[in-house]
Amino acid sequence: MKDYNPRIVCFSCKFGWGYLDPHKESLKGVDHWVPVACSGKIDATHILEAFAKGADGILILVCPEGDCHLQDGNFKTEAKVFLLQRILPAWGLDSRRLRVIAAMNPDGEKIPALVRDMASQIAPLGPARLFADSLAAGGESGRDSFPARA
Amino acid sequence: MAQKPKVAITWLGACGGCDMAVVDLDAGLLDVADKLDIVLWPVALDYKYQDVQALSDCSLALAIISGCVRNDEHLEIARLLRQKAGLVLALGACACFGGTPGLANFVGRQEILDFVYRDAPTVENPEGTIPQEKSLVNGHELTLPAFHEKVRAIKQVIDVDYFLPGCPPPPHLISQAINAVLAGDLPPKGSALAPRRALCDVCPRNRKKPARLEIHQIRQIHTIETDPDYCFLEEGILCMGPATRSGCGETCIRNNMPCRGCFGPVAGVEDAGTKHLSALASILRTEQYFDLAQLVETIPDPAGLFYRFTQPVSILGKAALKMHPLDKERP
Ligand code: SF4
Ligand code: SF4
Repeated sequence: MKDYNPRIVCFSCKFGWGYLDPHKESLKGVDHWVPVACSGKIDATHILEAFAKGADGILILVCPEGDCHLQDGNFKTEAKVFLLQRILPAWGLDSRRLRVIAAMNPDGEKIPALVRDMASQIAPLGPARLFADSLAAGGESGRDSFPARA
Repeated sequence: MAQKPKVAITWLGACGGCDMAVVDLDAGLLDVADKLDIVLWPVALDYKYQDVQALSDCSLALAIISGCVRNDEHLEIARLLRQKAGLVLALGACACFGGTPGLANFVGRQEILDFVYRDAPTVENPEGTIPQEKSLVNGHELTLPAFHEKVRAIKQVIDVDYFLPGCPPPPHLISQAINAVLAGDLPPKGSALAPRRALCDVCPRNRKKPARLEIHQIRQIHTIETDPDYCFLEEGILCMGPATRSGCGETCIRNNMPCRGCFGPVAGVEDAGTKHLSALASILRTEQYFDLAQLVETIPDPAGLFYRFTQPVSILGKAALKMHPLDKERP
């Protein structure tokens, strides 16, 4: 799949990753970017909706441990991501299509590179299609399969 | 005497549990039979679909349909009853959300046929016989309804007026629903005829819940002895109560079983699984971030746990159904 450029949706916490204008010159190349005030606000529903609407990968940028501006929104969103990473394979989606990074970069300068980085890592999987990711694509096996015949 | 309103009760892809819940109306059933003229009820009465076909459109006051839509016969009957009935009530988790049969949507038609007729450890089928839609037996052609690629909830094939969830729904809500229809005392179309609040709100185990719930270890109900007054979550047992609609009568909870979510999500929620998942995410606790992924690893079959009754109507479940448009499903 030459020249295939995965569609990455990036959610980021405004406190840790900047109150940035998505139209800013330095953020060119980040096409689907949703900054939110506290990553705890990122609902599991938003993440699955993004996949249902055609995202190939989703990158979530939260604050480092102990640095949540509120209480522990970052921890809760990380827990959501880990749980979602476990259910995605049941839908035939590789869990690497969802990634969380806990760090801080208040001017958001690193966001485009992180998005590019994720895009290049999941590009070999091809477009996200439900029930399509498999071992053949270099991913983990889709789901717990039926018990094998003895 | 004025004619009694006509009602049809039927099952599609169902286990019969919902019909048993209707039978469980007990003496109440005589009441129902008094007020209503039951024109179809395959589990109890010998009426035929032809009898329903012969009725004029909208001549039934109510069609009560349990079970999911898995094959062409289910689809045809659902469409027929929609045509003949003024009101359609989806009865039970299968009818409302796809139910446990909806878990089959994590695989497809071919995988199911391969396993059931070829690969299952208990199958002996050297000739590789699999069901055919048409076959010749002694010169007669026999037919079977086409088996669909995926399971659907009833609202995904016909317009549904009301929903009564549960696996099965409790008899008192069934009689309330029938009486509400008879009295014309109904909430807005599309409502569930059950309380709006979450199960935790009415759960007897909610009394002993610490101010801040935290789960450090996931446990299975059969491996520990629980305190009947303690919230299951407090003991690390995954209970779906926080995001499940109440109204079931807390039968499972009172019998030392955590809630599995058969009443579906609370009012206004579309995807039950993400709500179960988020509720759980908010109480998982580890010393380090690092250990969180490991704790999550210890949950057996999370997709099945969160979507046990609602896979076909979930966000990704609906997206997957779009890949198999209903009337083009036959291979
Ligand atoms: S909702 Fe439960 S009781 Fe009713 S048909 Fe489905 S599996 Fe059976
Ligand atoms: S989580 Fe379960 S046991 Fe705890 S209060 Fe809610 S319904 Fe009851």
